[in-house]
Amino acid sequence: MNLAINLTVNGKSVSATAEPSTSLLDFLRDTLNYKGTKLCCNTGECGACTIIFDGKPINSCVALAADANGAEITTIEGLADGDKLHPVQQAFIDTGAVQCGYCTPGYIMSVKVLLDRTTKPTAEDIEEAVSGNICRCTGYTKILDAINLAADRMAGGS
Amino acid sequence: MDYFEPKTVSEALSLLAKYGDKAKVIAGGTDVLVDMKYKEEPGCLINIKRIPGMDKIQENGASLGIGPLVTIRAIETSKLIRERLPVLWESCHQFASLQIRNTATIGGNICRASPSGETLAPLLVLEAKAKLAFSDGEKLEGFNSLFVGPGRTTLGSTGLLTEIQIPYAPQASRSAYLKHAVRGAMDIAMVGVAVLVTPDAMHSKLNDVRIGLAAVAPTPIRAQKAEALLRGQPLTAALVNEAAAVAASESSPISDQRSSAEYRGWIVEALTRQGLEQSWKAATGKEVA
Repeated sequence: MNLAINLTVNGKSVSATAEPSTSLLDFLRDTLNYKGTKLCCNTGECGACTIIFDGKPINSCVALAADANGAEITTIEGLADGDKLHPVQQAFIDTGAVQCGYCTPGYIMSVKVLLDRTTKPTAEDIEEAVSGNICRCTGYTKILDAINLAADRMAGGS
Repeated sequence: MDYFEPKTVSEALSLLAKYGDKAKVIAGGTDVLVDMKYKEEPGCLINIKRIPGMDKIQENGASLGIGPLVTIRAIETSKLIRERLPVLWESCHQFASLQIRNTATIGGNICRASPSGETLAPLLVLEAKAKLAFSDGEKLEGFNSLFVGPGRTTLGSTGLLTEIQIPYAPQASRSAYLKHAVRGAMDIAMVGVAVLVTPDAMHSKLNDVRIGLAAVAPTPIRAQKAEALLRGQPLTAALVNEAAAVAASESSPISDQRSSAEYRGWIVEALTRQGLEQSWKAATGKEVA
């Protein structure tokens, strides 16, 4: 049994079919070929598969592809404007917040949602926004630096 | 695997009647998808996400109705719930991660019937009722009788949860939800304790007290003996200690990878004491003497 799923990914209308048991993560990676979203724990605990679903960050590994029918989704591939990286992406590079890089796309999606809401996040806002993203390399300090740098740059309009 | 997206409750109920034990209801999916990946696929998946009207928070006089498809995040961001049902708000605030709260539903947390389900001890002390739909009619079930074992409710394989009705606690009451976990975010409670106290007008004794315990018995439970000991009494430090010990004796925790049964018992005692002290102080402005 295959379901027809029509959705918008990074501003583009897409249609494809999926088995009803397919997770949104597998659908994005294996059917639609958006490999930037990472498969890691596959149980909704690590945040590597975070995408933006109708404006909200979710773990795509524990969402049904079927529920994306009619939804608007943003993945990491949708952030850069041509060759110009999104300020959050640029800040992760500039502060050295990327080591193995596997958690990075998920982090960047969580941080983008936060900074779209406010460019003056409190420490508590930041903690809430990324408490569902786990990084095993950095010890988090550089990631916090990146979030603060991105917030400053976005607040300054640069 | 068969798959359906019913558009009405009655359509969902006829599918449940047809597929029985082979059917699995899915809402947010944060637990069901994990089971499907690592345990087994059900014979039939019934996705109730597209049934209209089940994602509303509505005030009905002195109680609040919450649709089962309301997400944990919608509860956490509801001003009404934060003001009127702070003990439920607190448990949703401490629930997993932002990503999971955006997807997981309160109905799923209830029907999953995990002994450690984050919202369950608060719903028990709020004396909430679950509206259950069956093919032969509806039924209101108190949360004290809804859970029959780990993962099992009186819905069985034929019923559908259609609303959670929560009466507002008395104006004078105050509450606390305390969760013992290591990491905080994304962590399952080793012990969860919800306490609600209502002092008398003189702030001299307890008119009412309710204590809910999670993760320390096959289902979430009320510590009824501890409550009986406290009800109508002035709240002294000695009585708080005694009630906390009684609450621990009412629990029947297991040992697992998160903690030993013995440790869980100590934590029930500590959190019950802390919950009583904290909510008494919030209600009366006074420390427990």
